[in-house]
Amino acid sequence: MSIEPFDLNGRDRRNGAKLAVEHLSKSFGSGTSAVQALAPLDLSVRTGDFLCVVGPSGCGKTTLLNIVGGFERPTSGRALIDDRPITKPGRERGVVFQQGALFNWMSVVENVAFGPRSCGVPAEKARQHARELLEMVGLAGFAHRYPYELSGGMQQRVGIARALANDPEILLMDEPFAALDQQTRELLQEEIRGIWRRTGKTILWITHSIEEALFLATHIVVMTARPGRVKAAFRSRFSESPDPLIAATPEFTAAKRQIVELLRSESQRAQSLEATV
Amino acid sequence: MAQSKALEQPIEALDETTLELRAGRRDRWLTSLTFLVLFSIWVALTGSGLWEPLIKPIFLPSPVAVFEAFQNLLEGGYQGRSLGYHVGISFYRFATAFSFCILVGVPLGLLLGMSRPIRAVIEPPIEAIRPVPKLALLPLFLIWFGIGNLSKIVVIAAPVFPIIVISAMQAVRSVSQKKIQAAQALGAGTLTVFRRVVLPASLPGIFTGIRVSLSIGVTMLVGAELTATSEGIAWMALTAAEYLSTDIVLVGVLIMAIMGYTLDRIVRALEARLVHWSGKD
Ligand SMILES: Nc1ncnc2c1ncn2[C@@H]1O[C@H](COP(=O)(O)OP(=O)(O)OP(=O)(O)O)[C@@H](O)[C@H]1O
Ligand SMILES: [Mg+2]
Repeated sequence: MSIEPFDLNGRDRRNGAKLAVEHLSKSFGSGTSAVQALAPLDLSVRTGDFLCVVGPSGCGKTTLLNIVGGFERPTSGRALIDDRPITKPGRERGVVFQQGALFNWMSVVENVAFGPRSCGVPAEKARQHARELLEMVGLAGFAHRYPYELSGGMQQRVGIARALANDPEILLMDEPFAALDQQTRELLQEEIRGIWRRTGKTILWITHSIEEALFLATHIVVMTARPGRVKAAFRSRFSESPDPLIAATPEFTAAKRQIVELLRSESQRAQSLEATV
Repeated sequence: MAQSKALEQPIEALDETTLELRAGRRDRWLTSLTFLVLFSIWVALTGSGLWEPLIKPIFLPSPVAVFEAFQNLLEGGYQGRSLGYHVGISFYRFATAFSFCILVGVPLGLLLGMSRPIRAVIEPPIEAIRPVPKLALLPLFLIWFGIGNLSKIVVIAAPVFPIIVISAMQAVRSVSQKKIQAAQALGAGTLTVFRRVVLPASLPGIFTGIRVSLSIGVTMLVGAELTATSEGIAWMALTAAEYLSTDIVLVGVLIMAIMGYTLDRIVRALEARLVHWSGKD
């Protein structure tokens, strides 16, 4: 078991891709103060893929996700869902934010029911569905609490349940576990893997953690320093392993080293870049 | 006794709520102590008929004298009107001005927060008149709105209105972009985003604006009843001061203080109920 280099943009992948990113670039500001966050970047994600994006801080990962989410417009190029250009947020793309995106004036069950209710499902039915999802993420007893009464890990579970409530085709996650402690993170990684296996959802996952990427992903994209491009892409099979201690195997360590080295050279470049700005 | 009882209880019984209740009881006790000390100083300085006053009653009458003045006012009224009437008319002026400010100012502020073009049209004039001392406009209001209640209501509303509008606008503008995006990604349209995200998320800011302007409104009551009226609790205190009836002045001042305090408590209680989640992100 290992990771192998992979051409994300092969013709066979392009055709029928769930999510395609074509020559996407993004600059902020204008004139001399312009910052190019994304260089022209190409990606394609097929249905059922669990694609993890790793890259140095500031390389444009969040920007990429914001464009795919429909929250921001690209400067050039385009992002497509099922061959339709993305222009605004939509319910077929569920988003889980890092933190602070729950509606703290609503109880947990209302948070989860928000999506279906916004899409016209009657309130009671939406709540019933929300309670089932809360049970799935282990929060059945907390339906009527408010988000501020929950721990960080529980809040992230609510965020995941809320995104799942609309039954989206693709889940977009921007470092959803970054603010959590190691144990909670590992627990939630297990859970998200279970959810992914059961539901077969397509997932675009941004992370700082190489282990997390190796543990979860079917595909890993390593980005360059700003402006972000694809530096390398890998097919990973560690996530298929039933072994919960897969991270302790020498193959896993070797794969990790391979990606660490790619990232290290980029991080150094990123630092020298920041110094000149 | 209370302590031994607490010790008998299992540890779990000392949960968050119980601890909070105890802390609350202690706080209230300390607060009462403050008032008790202040009151004692008042009694000591004025003698209250027990000893020679250290301060002449004309500057600070004793609590006993103030209470007697209050009783006299209750029985005989003031200048041909009952005390209740004076309080009532002042409250009417204040409440009308404030209700108008909330009913019109909050929706206007929300609208300003939501729409950039509307903001460009309406915000600059509001910002321009905000620093003008509203009391200076009183003569003008008297000419425009007559010597009846309307001019008084306008004087009270004048400083309150911009505060409420601007605070509602700021509240809308500072709603977390992330929460709005989250709602949009969940399929919410503009109306749902406004009703279920922007509006509730703005409530804490709106409440802050209301609380801040509450004391300003009570202050403006004094300005409003300064001239061109012969009724109202502030007017009573102002005219009594001309005759050096300090006891009546104090009754008026205390009634206004209690009014301001009570209103503040009511708003705070509402706030604690409606926006209990505020600031806990
Ligand atoms: N709204 C904005 N205005 C101006 N510059 C921005 C804006 N958003 C992002 N940037 C810039 O674009 C670059 C990429 O930002 P982005 O947030 O996408 O990085 P990231 O890869 O998510 O970083 P991190 O790993 O630290 O979260 C950064 O240099 C950032 O300063
Ligand atoms: Mg980021």
